Amino acid sequence: MGSLCRTQFRSKKMSFLLAIAALASVCAFGLPAYGQGVVGEFIPDVGFDLSGNWNPLLHEDFLERIPGPELVNYSGLPITEGSRLWGESWNSSRLTMPEHQCQVHVAPYIYRGPLQLRFWDEKDPQSQKIIAIKNYISTYEQTRTIWMDGRPHPPAWAAHTWMGFSTGKWEGNILTVYTTHIKQGWVRRNGLPESDQATLVEHFIRHGEHMTHVSIVTDPVYLAEPLVKSEDYVINSNAGGNWLYPCEEVEEVEGRPRGAVPNYLPGQNPFITEYANMYHLPLVAALGGPETMYPEFEKVLKNPPPVPSDPFQKDEVVPMPTKNEAQNPAPTDGEIHILPVQGNIYMLVGAGGNITAQVGDMGVLIVDTGLAQSAEKVIAAIRKLAPDKPLQYIINTHVHPDHTGGNEKLRAAGVTITGANVTGDISDASKGAAIIAHQAVLDRMSMASGNQPPAPTASWPTDTFLGDRKTLWFNDESVDITHEKAAHTDGDSIVYFRRSDVIATGDIFVTTGYPFIDIARGGSIQGELDALNNLLDLAISRHDEEGGTYIIPGHGRLCDRWELIEYRDMVTIIRDRIRASIKKGLTLDQVKASRPTMDYDARYGADKGFGTTDQFVEAVYKSLGGK
Amino acid sequence: MKRTLLFLVVAAASMLSTQVNVYAHHSFAATYFEDQTVTIKGKLVQFLYRNPHSFVHVEAPDDKGETQVWAVEWGAGGQLSRDGVTRESLKPGDIVEIKGNPGRNPDDHRIRMQSITRPADGWNWKGVVQ
Repeated sequence: MGSLCRTQFRSKKMSFLLAIAALASVCAFGLPAYGQGVVGEFIPDVGFDLSGNWNPLLHEDFLERIPGPELVNYSGLPITEGSRLWGESWNSSRLTMPEHQCQVHVAPYIYRGPLQLRFWDEKDPQSQKIIAIKNYISTYEQTRTIWMDGRPHPPAWAAHTWMGFSTGKWEGNILTVYTTHIKQGWVRRNGLPESDQATLVEHFIRHGEHMTHVSIVTDPVYLAEPLVKSEDYVINSNAGGNWLYPCEEVEEVEGRPRGAVPNYLPGQNPFITEYANMYHLPLVAALGGPETMYPEFEKVLKNPPPVPSDPFQKDEVVPMPTKNEAQNPAPTDGEIHILPVQGNIYMLVGAGGNITAQVGDMGVLIVDTGLAQSAEKVIAAIRKLAPDKPLQYIINTHVHPDHTGGNEKLRAAGVTITGANVTGDISDASKGAAIIAHQAVLDRMSMASGNQPPAPTASWPTDTFLGDRKTLWFNDESVDITHEKAAHTDGDSIVYFRRSDVIATGDIFVTTGYPFIDIARGGSIQGELDALNNLLDLAISRHDEEGGTYIIPGHGRLCDRWELIEYRDMVTIIRDRIRASIKKGLTLDQVKASRPTMDYDARYGADKGFGTTDQFVEAVYKSLGGK
Repeated sequence: MKRTLLFLVVAAASMLSTQVNVYAHHSFAATYFEDQTVTIKGKLVQFLYRNPHSFVHVEAPDDKGETQVWAVEWGAGGQLSRDGVTRESLKPGDIVEIKGNPGRNPDDHRIRMQSITRPADGWNWKGVVQ
């Protein structure tokens, strides 16, 4: 914070000088109402102007910012125990995977690079009021839009981006920016994660040709306290230099098995003490945490506590968080909300499981129907989307009632028009929409399961398939339905809208928790991982793991390929840990007690309700053959 | 100490330069043993001239004499271009000798380039990958 105090002092002095300069300017040229002010001059109605090209000033932070931080150098970072464990399990070899090579540094981290910045204003041509401040960042070719027109942030179920969604306001000579909807990324690129729950407050403070950027990152999942950082920039009147950063993924390491995710099993990271030993630090200092940020930590350094040789066994030193700190993105007002995705596709949230709607000239096709009690509202939402078009097709991604509960009413609200390339049975073609699903869905809906009676006949799929795939053409695009044999259940279907480039995953992928592997209905961990890897094969990013194919999960917010990558990685790593424990002969109770999910629990864990952490661990254990 | 000195020299050069370098998307210290050096000699399989870093893949024996495909990380396209290295500088089949820092994961067979030489005509490059 030393540099911040210094710049604030300079700011007062600078303001005084600027005030004199402004007065002289007024005397010489009249009122500055025509925008003729000096660059950086304070103009009350508009605020400072950041427009121009800026280069970073590198100071003592050079070593971290350019060549990069050492492994297990977490000193001075207010990380949680979960974050530390995430970092200790992280193997830098993970960055050799094609899907990780072009991972952009998120907005709270990207300013730590040697990037060049460019700012410019976007103004309403009529009123000349500022609509947004744009900020191009050369590293990874990112463009931020800082909305200045008072618009609200998107709903919780909207997609996240590397740069997030930003709104700003001038506070005196400071541009203050608030950012939400940021993707999961780095707190530090030596394996310390920042979750997708992080939010960011920034202050851009201009002093003539210098600018200080102060950022305050809050992450309820991986930071125990807000992380405050600052960087300095200087105006670059020479607009030359390298403004491009094309990144292309390639096969860096040959022969890696499909779906393998490099990681260190608990206690097997060989580099835990390397940094601490190199700089003769007590390990407790290198491991970071909020206490390492404060001067009082010097007392601890004089008499450091013993640290077990295996930091994964440190539960006694710092208790592990068990609470899920993530916000459930589902709406709480009982209404169905419509989110345009891209092309013909909309996401309907609020009915239990997410519903995908494809809308076009031929009518409406939906993927899943939500809970039974939401059916009327879903019908109303579809009519709002397509007032004069028939609901023709329903596709069920799997059997669970939060995805099939509305089948009966939705089907009755629709119609099957004979003549399309897929129709219901001839006898019932005009009775309602066709319901397409894998045969395993019909098998399970039509038979009793435990105390559960069969589902009502009118809710059963009318058009089933037995093989791996079914296709149809509707609303000027091909719809590709792929069966996953034993993932979440044995009847899962992935629905890929090729022209719109959107995939509905059903509960194979959710953002609200660990995958619920329904072993009783044919699910398995290997099938789940196969399905996640198949989804990754389908999805292609537009630029640096962002955009391109959009993914509608069974529950949670809209995603793109990046969220799928991180989710697949997590499930793979947890599978690896449990598999290693089974190899060692650990019982299910012993595996649960070892907490193989501990670094992810603050984001995905649950100890009650549908799909608890224990259920997930048990399902993985059992489907790997654990006794 | 030697490492710190090297970084400070690079830092000073970087700060004096108006050209901002493309920086590593990853941390070199986290990816390679920066205090170790290995040398391989073998046949170039592929030259990827790209960002965030270029790569050469070389078929060469490991310390057990078994042939491996080594992934050698090089500078970004921009850096190599400034150093006079072009897409045409290397071609598949070239026999090259490479010296660099070994990767932390031995199974990956990765190296961070410090120098490359083609004995057939003496063509070479030496520098610090940024």
